[in-house]
Amino acid sequence: MIAKKVLLVGNFGVGKTSLIRQFVLNEFSEDYISTIGVRVSTKIVSLNGEQIKLLIWDVAGTKDDEKVPKAYFLGASAAMYVFDLNREETYLNLKNQLEVVKQLSGLKEILVVGNKKDLLTANEIDQVKKIIEIPVDLITSAKENENVEDAFTILAKQSLK
Amino acid sequence: MTPAKIENVFLEVITNQQGIIKNILAGKFAIEEFVVDTSIFETCPFLFGTLELLPEKESFLMEGMVITSKNKEYNTDVELFKDGEEITILLHNRTSVYKVITELNQNRNDLFFMKREISEKNKELAILRKASDKANEEKSRFLAIMSHEVRNPLNTILGYTNMIAEENLSDKVREYVSYLAFSGKNLKVIVDDILDLSRIEAGKLELALEEINVNKIVQSNFINFKNQHTNDFVALEISTSTKIPATLIGDGVRVNQILANLMNNALKFTKEGKVSVQTEIISENEKSAEIRFKITDTGRGMTDEQTAKIFEEYRQTELDDNRVFGGAGLGLSIVKRLVGAMNGSITVASKLNVGTTFYVEIPFKKVLNTVKKPITEVEKSTKKSLQGKRILLADDDLLNQKITSHILNKEEVIITVAKNGLEALEILNVQDFDLAILDINMPEITGDTLIQQKATFKKNNQIPFLALTGNATQEHKENYLKIGFTDVIFKPYKFDELIGKIEGCL
Repeated sequence: MIAKKVLLVGNFGVGKTSLIRQFVLNEFSEDYISTIGVRVSTKIVSLNGEQIKLLIWDVAGTKDDEKVPKAYFLGASAAMYVFDLNREETYLNLKNQLEVVKQLSGLKEILVVGNKKDLLTANEIDQVKKIIEIPVDLITSAKENENVEDAFTILAKQSLK
Repeated sequence: MTPAKIENVFLEVITNQQGIIKNILAGKFAIEEFVVDTSIFETCPFLFGTLELLPEKESFLMEGMVITSKNKEYNTDVELFKDGEEITILLHNRTSVYKVITELNQNRNDLFFMKREISEKNKELAILRKASDKANEEKSRFLAIMSHEVRNPLNTILGYTNMIAEENLSDKVREYVSYLAFSGKNLKVIVDDILDLSRIEAGKLELALEEINVNKIVQSNFINFKNQHTNDFVALEISTSTKIPATLIGDGVRVNQILANLMNNALKFTKEGKVSVQTEIISENEKSAEIRFKITDTGRGMTDEQTAKIFEEYRQTELDDNRVFGGAGLGLSIVKRLVGAMNGSITVASKLNVGTTFYVEIPFKKVLNTVKKPITEVEKSTKKSLQGKRILLADDDLLNQKITSHILNKEEVIITVAKNGLEALEILNVQDFDLAILDINMPEITGDTLIQQKATFKKNNQIPFLALTGNATQEHKENYLKIGFTDVIFKPYKFDELIGKIEGCL
């Protein structure tokens, strides 16, 4: 079985840990516990009949002026950039943030995910999409387990590229 | 907080590129989680995919990596060094390592450590606060117990002093007995003050407003000290003023307490020379007169620093010999608060090895036509007759029992005595009474337990019940009234007080 290291990055409080918990453990908690450092979760996914062991790095959320340490990306096959649809500051500078992540990781493609879909109406989500200059790959809700599986499946696919 | 031993917070292991642990070089941290010939990826999954890509012979650092194993979590910094086939991995456990705030580099992990440190400090503070609260509760409990324990013998002393005073005595013995009564009364005030210090601090001190003769108080206080005074090298002097109105309104007991405290201090710290008390009027108008009490000694005096702290609680002048003089160190603190409660002022002037003078200035109201007599006195003319009244007295303390019986017998009361709560209950069920006096702390059944069973008495459940107790706090009184007592008598009590309370209930 092949193993792939993938990272979730993004501002603090956007729901990276919640997405991982939902994906790996099918759990969701309203309690917010800020992630400290790096936690690695593991889940085996099947992709086109092939099993892949995903080593999912839950990297502590950053602030605007912070960068994820370059060392974290060593050996990473894919990365997901998560933002909070309900918090403007987590997506206003998205384009630049993605460039930084690409530079640090050496990855050509970063999966962009807008989380906390459950907190907005469809119209509001459209408004957010208009503000963001780049295409959003997936809109998810860790709380309601919407598109979570899909997001990680795409991530796994990207890790194989 | 720095760990005691450095080896407890790091671990150095060697693996191959496949992550198999080949050797454990040093350190004791998480030793069970790392076993030779097993994969390091089990404990450190973050190393998967990393080891094989490490640059050759170059230190590679990863901070804040979380190791979770056996329900225990470690936050670690990891330093990797690849040399050919071997990879040296140094894991530094930061979980228990705290940084001072100036060293924080503002990343999330440092904030985490700061948060953890604050959390630890808060835990310590919570423990200290708990200990402090407990100590405070213990102090209160101790004071309450001591108050009760002191009040019982004090009641006996004062009671028998009164009884002796009623006998045919020579003038000399009568004088001695009066001093005994005077000192007993002062002791009662001190016990009250120690217990009530917190109330004084809270500004809840209640002063009596009664007619007093200031000069007489000063003289009486002076005579008391003179009679106890045995040091021939120290002269005692008194000076009063005839300009001071014979009757003023104030709290005589408290004024006496202030003077006694200051005199006591003066004598305590004076080995030779003199101690004098002077009283003079410093201002007067139609409604009030301000009196200055000046207590001077030629004792050892104090430095400016000591003088500045003299009114603080539990503070005797902190000289080497302070233990020699004993005392709780509460006296001057209480004096200051008492003077303050009387809208007066107290100042001190002192010079080391020369002496000390305390100036107390208190404004007293003058007597108007409407002024009441001292509130604790019961007017003879308004007294009801207790003759023939049937009273049950339940008290296990034989000496106090005799005193109370003596007082009641003088009033020609028909008295029945019970020596404990159970006996009182049996008597109350068979005999008729006009009133019952129950001591609170009695064997078998306590007074407060007994009163709560009042409704079940076969007789006497409509008569007034008086609580007799050494628990002399307002809280206790309120509680006793709440559970069914008609009134409360605190020990030690004056004869008139007891009779007044009984009359008030009948």
